[in-house]
Amino acid sequence: MVDPLNKRDETVRTATTLPPSLEAQTAEQKLQTMLSALWERSRHTVAERAALLQEAGKLWADDRLDEATRLRAVDSAHKLAGVLGTFGLPRGTELAREAEQVFGQPILPGKAAAERLLLLLAELTSLIDRGPFGPR
Amino acid sequence: MTRRILIIDDEDDIRQVAGMSLETIAGWDVILANSGKQGIERATKEQPDAILLDVMMPEMDGPTTLLKLKASGQTSHIPVLLLTAKVQGPDQRRFAEMGVAAILFKPFDPLTLARQISTALGWREDG
Repeated sequence: MVDPLNKRDETVRTATTLPPSLEAQTAEQKLQTMLSALWERSRHTVAERAALLQEAGKLWADDRLDEATRLRAVDSAHKLAGVLGTFGLPRGTELAREAEQVFGQPILPGKAAAERLLLLLAELTSLIDRGPFGPR
Repeated sequence: MTRRILIIDDEDDIRQVAGMSLETIAGWDVILANSGKQGIERATKEQPDAILLDVMMPEMDGPTTLLKLKASGQTSHIPVLLLTAKVQGPDQRRFAEMGVAAILFKPFDPLTLARQISTALGWREDG
């Protein structure tokens, strides 16, 4: 792949730079192996986004959520919704979409809704910890 | 036939997964861009066979990027597929009017992304 402005991308193994151990695999197996490696590199960022959502949820439950944090939560939830299912965590996408929808409201519903969202976000964090390819 | 696809998305992970998918499963050449501005530059220079364009991006979003691509004589002929996490009915109609070839949804299945693109663009399955 060609991505001169993104240094991280230069480290990605592509179909033409596979190590010998991958040569005998089918294309699908190669892709799974590459996705697993990419997940390992990405899980920290993914976990940070989930942590931001949890923090925003706690602030909301305490009635201390400011507008900037709410908007960051919407952005994080949107990104998680897009990427988790692609990595093989469709339930993660569902949970992130729900968080995006909730935080996307300019006026958030009451405390009971916040408590419910915190439960969903705990499930999201647990899913991410386990990962799509099994525990670390 | 080896296709050349330009992926424009501000999300590293999405760019990487889509790129790996298209290279590994379909054997296509992949070009990456992390913003609408960079995407327009790369489309103009590289002349890909198609562009996979994210909708929600900071600074220049997908629809604005699409309009600029379609307004340029150097890129207007390149089919653009939008990649989005959420599109509602009115948006779909608006995107169609803007000349988008197809809309694909996140999350996508890396194993079938190339097939989705081929089908949407009427390409042969083997690319």
